[in-house]
Amino acid sequence: MLRNTLEWLDDRTGYHDLMAPIRRRVLPNGPSWWYTSATCLLWLFVVQMITGLLLMATYSPSTGGAWASIHFIEQSMAGSFLRGVHYFASHAMIVLFAVHIVRVLLSAAFRAPRELIWITGLLLMPLFLVWAVTGNPLSASQKAIAQIEVEGHIVGSTPLIGPIVQRLLIGGDEVGQLTFTHLYALHVGLLPLLVIVLLAIHISQVYRHGLFPGSQATSDHRARPYWPYQTVRNMTVLGILVAGISWLAWRYGAPLESPPDPSLHYMPRPEWYFRSLFELRRYFTGDTEFIATIVIPTVTLLVLLSIPMLDRRCWPKVSFGFRLLFAVIGLGGWAVLTFQSYARDWQDAEYVAAEEEAKELAARARALADKFRVPPEGPSALLSNDPKLQGPHLFRKHCANCHSYTDADGAGIAASELSAPNLHGFASPDWIAGMLDPQRINSEHYFGNTAFADGEMASTIVDMFDGLEGEDLKELQTQLSNVSQVLADEAQREVSEADEEAVASNAELLTELACTDCHRYHEEGDLGSAPDLTGYGSRKWLIEMIANPSGERFYPDDRNDRMPAFAENPHQPEANLISQRELELLVDWLRGEWYEP
Amino acid sequence: MNRRGALKWISGLFAAACTLVVAIPGVSFVAEALRRGPRKKSIVQRVARLQELPQGRPVQANIVGSRRDAWTVYPDEVIGRVWLVRQTDDSVPESEHKVAAFTGVCPHLGCAILKSSDGENFVCPCHKAAFALDGEPLSEDQLGHTNHTPRGMDSLTAQPVQDEAGQWWVEVEYKQFVTGLTKKVQQV
Repeated sequence: MLRNTLEWLDDRTGYHDLMAPIRRRVLPNGPSWWYTSATCLLWLFVVQMITGLLLMATYSPSTGGAWASIHFIEQSMAGSFLRGVHYFASHAMIVLFAVHIVRVLLSAAFRAPRELIWITGLLLMPLFLVWAVTGNPLSASQKAIAQIEVEGHIVGSTPLIGPIVQRLLIGGDEVGQLTFTHLYALHVGLLPLLVIVLLAIHISQVYRHGLFPGSQATSDHRARPYWPYQTVRNMTVLGILVAGISWLAWRYGAPLESPPDPSLHYMPRPEWYFRSLFELRRYFTGDTEFIATIVIPTVTLLVLLSIPMLDRRCWPKVSFGFRLLFAVIGLGGWAVLTFQSYARDWQDAEYVAAEEEAKELAARARALADKFRVPPEGPSALLSNDPKLQGPHLFRKHCANCHSYTDADGAGIAASELSAPNLHGFASPDWIAGMLDPQRINSEHYFGNTAFADGEMASTIVDMFDGLEGEDLKELQTQLSNVSQVLADEAQREVSEADEEAVASNAELLTELACTDCHRYHEEGDLGSAPDLTGYGSRKWLIEMIANPSGERFYPDDRNDRMPAFAENPHQPEANLISQRELELLVDWLRGEWYEP
Repeated sequence: MNRRGALKWISGLFAAACTLVVAIPGVSFVAEALRRGPRKKSIVQRVARLQELPQGRPVQANIVGSRRDAWTVYPDEVIGRVWLVRQTDDSVPESEHKVAAFTGVCPHLGCAILKSSDGENFVCPCHKAAFALDGEPLSEDQLGHTNHTPRGMDSLTAQPVQDEAGQWWVEVEYKQFVTGLTKKVQQV
């Protein structure tokens, strides 16, 4: 039945004869592994179109949606794999292009009558690089935006037409919504069309003129039909390439850097295939940089394009040497410049550290997006609302003049002039125990550099231990350890959730130790002499404390040493030192309350 | 098998492998849409103050919640509408009021049900289905044409609740139902 259907189809369309050139193609010099680069390029192109179409179904080209939709794709195994294939196949194609062009150059297959094959093929290379350049920034990540901004400026540096082309590409003054829609339209619309047109001319010309026979005389016994002798070589190389691409896609996947974050200390770099130009431009100044980025690549392309004409004017023997030299210098120069660029970065400690930071931020962004999904304001809001990321920034900006946040090994944020307690582990049992320890309360980690050094609280604690030994000492230590736990528990829950029985027995303990002589604790004691221990260290307590340390619950009248009130105007938030949102982020960070996957 | 046949076989094998490497994830990726989607839970919410409901007259209220749209979560959106009709009169104490609540989604094809201009009935603008204030579909005689709805308006449980400040509210359990069926079946 299949045969009948095919016969019917052939009668209507004549496909059997149309396909004859392909079916009956003969290679006069036999098959060769060198010929496989062409077919592999073609099939990888097909793979790119298919994976591209699939990704298109889910990707959204807007500043808010680009990163989020790509993260969405990455969340499914199939989506992540397809995106990885799309990414690594593009790299494979660039390498294959180089191989293909060098092979054609060295075998002089550009000679008459095949000049158009050479020209269309050569034009496909920069077209393909532009295709990759329009594709990489589509993720709208930190790296993507840095890339497209730099690339826009490089385009803009071309004399005369540069600024106009730049403005058309970017869609205005700044990278924004229009930039992504433009890149997308180019990437999925215009460039595929141009490539298909050039490819059609290229392939039809190959069939018209056949493969270049080379300088060898043809002999019948070497001739072989293309199918299956060349096909099997093509498919084998393609299979190896696809296997390699799939492994890379499976194992590593395409990268997705963090959404744009202006506080990130970022050092952008171009993709590996442009590293040579990145290195080359270092030898030019600002004004002449366009020679490296625009002129040299264009001149190289023009020389290559004109080789069929140049070749006719040179003796055949010399011209092979010239071509070989050209290829060696070209590839060699590219390799040296690329390696130099990478080596320079690997030796730069600052760059290595910045890369690490960027990787961690990307992982954090992805973890937050996995858990919370992206809010309507966009993926950058995920980062700006994350206490773990924003806490250290806010602490450095507002608190680190006086407070430090360093652990036992000294790692963390050091104060510029330590004149306030070390807040690492604030309201944890150990931190509170330090406050109740006569050896530590006057140290620089607590009151040592403040007005409270050797003050009422410190001397009370010291006096408690005075003259105590043996059993009495141990008993006091146990009681104070219990107090540390009691207060640490106050920090863990809001006052309204307190268990009445527990509060009552805690109050007994605190009264017994005379804490409530100065401190209030729920129903016991009064405000005014010392900070309120009710809800000590809880979110609400800490927010109120930082907002106004001179408030009656904390250090009223002239008891406050020198801590400023950071948000004392609830009705005029613009007049405050920090916003309510920043205050909440800071407090959540100090209390260790952030999302961990 | 001769050499040529073997080469054809090998070519076919590699070609098939390359195709599958792209086709299998491709199909799986497209089929994701069939698998995605969280379960539609019912939402219990206070939708209107009791004093806003005049007796026997339909009042519309919004159901507010967070909505997940692919990669975005919208935290505060109107995700549903309900129609409320207070059935008991003013002499009844607040806690014993009876309020009929219906989802605003037409059981025919899902359009948003409106109230008629005189407020005596519910009407659907898409295919002119009409319902009485108790949710029952009007008959063809009453309507003058076929009533396309397969069943009456989907009722929801509603009860008066009092908040901490002493205000009385109507609390509704909002659910979504499958359109086009003669029986009321909750969406999953």
